Amino acid sequence: MAGTSPTRDLRQPTTARSDEAARGGPGCPTRVSDGAVRVGWLLLLTISGLSVGGRLQQVTAAAPAAIDFNRDIRPILSNSCFQCHGPDENTRKAGLRLDRPEGLFGQGESGATSVVPGHSETSEVLRRVLSKDPAERMPPEGSGKTLSGAEVDRLRAWIDEGATFTQHWSYITPQRPRLPEIRNHEWPRQPLDTFVLSRLERESLTPAPAADRFALIRRLSLDLTGLPPTFDGAREFANDEGHDALDRVVDRLLAQPTFGEHWGRRWLDLARYADSAGYADDPLRTIWKYRDWVIRATNSNMPFDQFTLEQLAGDLFPAPTQDQLIATAFHRNTMTNSEGGTDDEEFRSLAVVDRVNTTMAVWMGTTMACAQCHSHKYDPISQLDYFRLFAILNNTEDSDKKDERPLLEIAQDATTVPILRELAGDQRRTTRLQRRGNFMDLGEVVAEGLPETLHAAVPAGPVSRRALAEWLIDPRNPLTSRVVANRYWEALFGVGLVRTSEEFGSQGDAPSHPELLDWLARELVRLRWDTKAFIKLIVTSATYGQSSRVTAADYERDPDNRNLARGPRFRMSAEVIRDQALWSAGLLSHKMYGESVYPPQPQLGLNAAFGGAIDWKASQGEDRYRRGIYTSWRRSNPYPSMATFDAPNSEVCTVRRVRTNTPLQSLVTLNDPAFVEAAQALARQWAADGGSDIDKIRRGFQRCLVRDPSDREVETLLNLYHQASQALEPTHQSTGESAPDPALALATVPIGPIPESWSVSARELAAWTVVANVLLNVDELFLKR
Amino acid sequence: MNPRLEQIQLATRRYFLRQSALSLGSIGLAACRGEASASAASASGPSADPLAARQPHFPARARRIIYLHMTGSPPNLDLFDYKPELVRRDGQDCPQSHLDGKRFAFTTGVPKLLGTPHTFSQHGESGLWLSEALPHFRSIADEMCVVRSMTTDQFNHAPAELLLFTGSARSGRPSLGSWIAYGLGTENADLPGFVVLISSGVQPNGGTNSFGSGFLPSVYQGVQCRSQGDPVLYVSDPEGMSRSLRRHSLDALQALNAEQMVEFGHPETLTRIAQYELAFRMQVSVPDVMDISQEPQHVLDAYGATPGGASLANNCLLARRLIESGVRFVQLFDWGWDFHGTGEDNGLGPGLTQKCATMDKPVAALIRDLRQRGLLDDTLVVWGGEFGRTPFREGRTAASKVLGRDHYPDCYTMWMAGGGARPGTTYGETDELGFGITQDPVHIHDLQATMMHLLGFDHERLTARFQGRDYRLTDVHGKVVPGLLA
Repeated sequence: MAGTSPTRDLRQPTTARSDEAARGGPGCPTRVSDGAVRVGWLLLLTISGLSVGGRLQQVTAAAPAAIDFNRDIRPILSNSCFQCHGPDENTRKAGLRLDRPEGLFGQGESGATSVVPGHSETSEVLRRVLSKDPAERMPPEGSGKTLSGAEVDRLRAWIDEGATFTQHWSYITPQRPRLPEIRNHEWPRQPLDTFVLSRLERESLTPAPAADRFALIRRLSLDLTGLPPTFDGAREFANDEGHDALDRVVDRLLAQPTFGEHWGRRWLDLARYADSAGYADDPLRTIWKYRDWVIRATNSNMPFDQFTLEQLAGDLFPAPTQDQLIATAFHRNTMTNSEGGTDDEEFRSLAVVDRVNTTMAVWMGTTMACAQCHSHKYDPISQLDYFRLFAILNNTEDSDKKDERPLLEIAQDATTVPILRELAGDQRRTTRLQRRGNFMDLGEVVAEGLPETLHAAVPAGPVSRRALAEWLIDPRNPLTSRVVANRYWEALFGVGLVRTSEEFGSQGDAPSHPELLDWLARELVRLRWDTKAFIKLIVTSATYGQSSRVTAADYERDPDNRNLARGPRFRMSAEVIRDQALWSAGLLSHKMYGESVYPPQPQLGLNAAFGGAIDWKASQGEDRYRRGIYTSWRRSNPYPSMATFDAPNSEVCTVRRVRTNTPLQSLVTLNDPAFVEAAQALARQWAADGGSDIDKIRRGFQRCLVRDPSDREVETLLNLYHQASQALEPTHQSTGESAPDPALALATVPIGPIPESWSVSARELAAWTVVANVLLNVDELFLKR
Repeated sequence: MNPRLEQIQLATRRYFLRQSALSLGSIGLAACRGEASASAASASGPSADPLAARQPHFPARARRIIYLHMTGSPPNLDLFDYKPELVRRDGQDCPQSHLDGKRFAFTTGVPKLLGTPHTFSQHGESGLWLSEALPHFRSIADEMCVVRSMTTDQFNHAPAELLLFTGSARSGRPSLGSWIAYGLGTENADLPGFVVLISSGVQPNGGTNSFGSGFLPSVYQGVQCRSQGDPVLYVSDPEGMSRSLRRHSLDALQALNAEQMVEFGHPETLTRIAQYELAFRMQVSVPDVMDISQEPQHVLDAYGATPGGASLANNCLLARRLIESGVRFVQLFDWGWDFHGTGEDNGLGPGLTQKCATMDKPVAALIRDLRQRGLLDDTLVVWGGEFGRTPFREGRTAASKVLGRDHYPDCYTMWMAGGGARPGTTYGETDELGFGITQDPVHIHDLQATMMHLLGFDHERLTARFQGRDYRLTDVHGKVVPGLLA
């Protein structure tokens, strides 16, 4: 839990692998490529070097001088004790509450004092965890929990050192921290780097050298726009010796309309945006104006506080604009159940539950779902707190009806969008606490209110959605600025400073760089929530600009780069992988906005339960090649190639996407007709541009990977071209039966016939298609480097 | 913490570094044999990767599961749970006591009780009651462990199906099969560990959530295989690409990737290389295992399977082929069991008989086939729907000639066979009209706990951490039911 040994949880990147690397077994040695052998030797050497060092190490921080309650003790209590001695009054045993100082330092029912500062020997807590008597020993048998020796030692040391108690770190409003002392004053470009360097120096590490300009601009372009740079553009940057070259290129990228498409897509994960209503029949839903609103708001750099207010309460503005009403569709992305025989009130109530959970996840990094049924077991959120929030969101006109009313008519686009509209006085609902989260088992009446334990600056009087939004973006709110800053960091570095970007409560991970996180959080507020400026701050840092090269030893020491001793390198999102392939092939349409589109997908021949066919009629013309953000998203059947690359189905808010690495992904990029078409288009580009075979390969590398190939790489692909060309040689079968020509198929299916004016043969195009198919599958292409 | 997962992840990284050192040289060639090879799995170290075969908590009775889901929920009172008293009182008003405080999907007011139009008789040494609509089940009566006292919390299809398969009525949790793949890995690296087969042309009620991996990594999600078109999406090479050309192109790709590995030292690249090799082998192994035309005619006949078609019969036969090849969990979904009586095909009379005829023959054949091959002892077969059906006629079709029943969560029937389930058993009882359980209720979470137990897992200990909490299939509920164990 603590910074010294980061928890690994399931949402961390690169979790899923297969052991296939090793399944090769004996192969015929004559076909081993030189490259592969070299890798083998390299690793053998580095690993045998490592094995001397002994066991695998996690990132290790310098030995802490003193016990820190939040870092060292709270996780022990939270994991092992809070279940029965925490915030949930219903499961609390012996009236003892160890998450609050009153309980921790007070007397239990037995009369014994739980923790006596300075005296572990008289502290009941320690006596009980050490007790040999099964009736006394804590945690009790059968709880599935045990304390390790090291944990007991830490507990003892903490008590003997005086048992300082502090509130959970994320519930304390961040203060702008002072810059730490560092030795190397050359490297940092700005305060952010100073914090990073301070930790590196503490761990006796040095930053990696700066990435080369080609790698850097590819990284920047992919991070800011979701698309790679042209090679010419990259070369221009590489040759730009101006001291502000980086500034200018970042400004240029931030101003691209593609910026809003890329970063808007991230927000849509949080907004659980989809083009269908969910549940069994999952009918299509028209809500794309909201998606366009997000892209526009992102491109126009709407400050995050305004962005928040408009989405949560745009309808409550005095004389709201059309756009402010569209923004409220944020909370109309909840699912509706049109299965026959459902109780509309049940599913309306569930939609409100989803709005509470989503709001708290997106802005506060707080998992609220537990508190719907019982007071939270780890964090100070009671069930009453939950229903106070529920009450705030419980008075909009929408219900679980199929017609999705209320709708805003948008005449200029001949479309509609579902919006929030507050119920008028006499129609307002009374909220009651739902016992065990059951909407039919109602308890006391609950008035609107905010969880003051998380952030005390609560407005007086009845609390509206507008007040909720203002409370969330209040600069004194301890969570929002940290949560948002951390998400930007995660997007750029692959892992957040708080790895559990969805959970900042006591069960979440502690930040790897607590002061840096607080500094960033304050900076975000100081910048008046100007998110483009905030992104620029990060991507112009020395930290971000490091090379991502790594030795095996360094990789083993810090596989997720929590120390930030190198640049980010991780697999990109499903949308980027698709968009990049289309872009490289020259197929990508840059058309923005509008109705969602239907790129070709395999016909499955199935219907949704109680619903229509899940197959669709593919769009024609450029709509087949639009960016992934415009692909129609049906929750029960997300577009298969993107789902394979971990795009979420969008039924609920996704704070953090999983990043997996699976064989099914290989099948997508090798064989999905969309990717085959991209290879064919790339091959045609080469043919049209002319030049030697080597020129073609060089241009392919420049276009796809934004770099020149090595001689060996050229040779590999040249060999492949010749092999393919040979393999596709027409064979004349004695039967006279003309089999379908493989070369013709490979050159034209699905992209279409070779233009008649072209003199190039199908065989040549097919052979280049094979080469392009390989180039579009190189691992480097899927990674930021 | 989640020590097990943590350990897997660390081990995976370490393992790749080591193994790659030893065998990357041969990787490009692993498949130069061109054949899928399960024996290659022996090269893998213990628990090195997320899909490596792993041992459960304690010795397992079942090593794999075939789950037969009758989407829509078959009418228990017309198939298994014989109620002569209900037949006697057919047409009478439903007693108010059975309606008070309850919600029904399509029924309001006071409906009429509905005795089954089917006849029942007892079969096997156990004297199992079976409807005449299930003639083929008679031959497997003594293999069956019938639970007449199932109960669930949901009465709408999608939430009930999610509760059944994920332990929660809301979306977002891992499904049963993905928990098993997570816990046990796969025995054959060339095939997915969790395969889904769908018949009757309609997806499950929960969409892909019913076999999704929720917050677990997507390697654990169910892979849908089909008996028409590509057996697995994108498994076929592009038109015109021969296998040898694909091999050449993969060799070139792997050489480029290896070059990158040298340049950047990023072990994830090794994983990627490995995935391409596995994909290459799957391109052979998946179509091969999915090709039922390799089966002798008498086997096809026993199941009523037809190569080239898409049917529950084909899927039952495929299920056997898949588990024989080392797949851990085969999940079948068959649409069309929602017997409301809104049309002849979902009426309780001839409609039910016809629907059952497409099901009981292949399912019985599957059980016998597994028994004959010695696979039934360690293969658990589970059969059921997402809830039960009312002992009264549903509201919308009350005046129709076609008989139908509404959704009913309080009690219903499921059955298991093999894999350590107690054979020849009828467990639990419902009252004389079939409204409530009078003995030995088995909640859906209890069934999940029991299935996990048979697989060798303590359902409370197979957990994964998400959003700061350890989640498990059974949520915070579930008790193993000893009476269901052999």
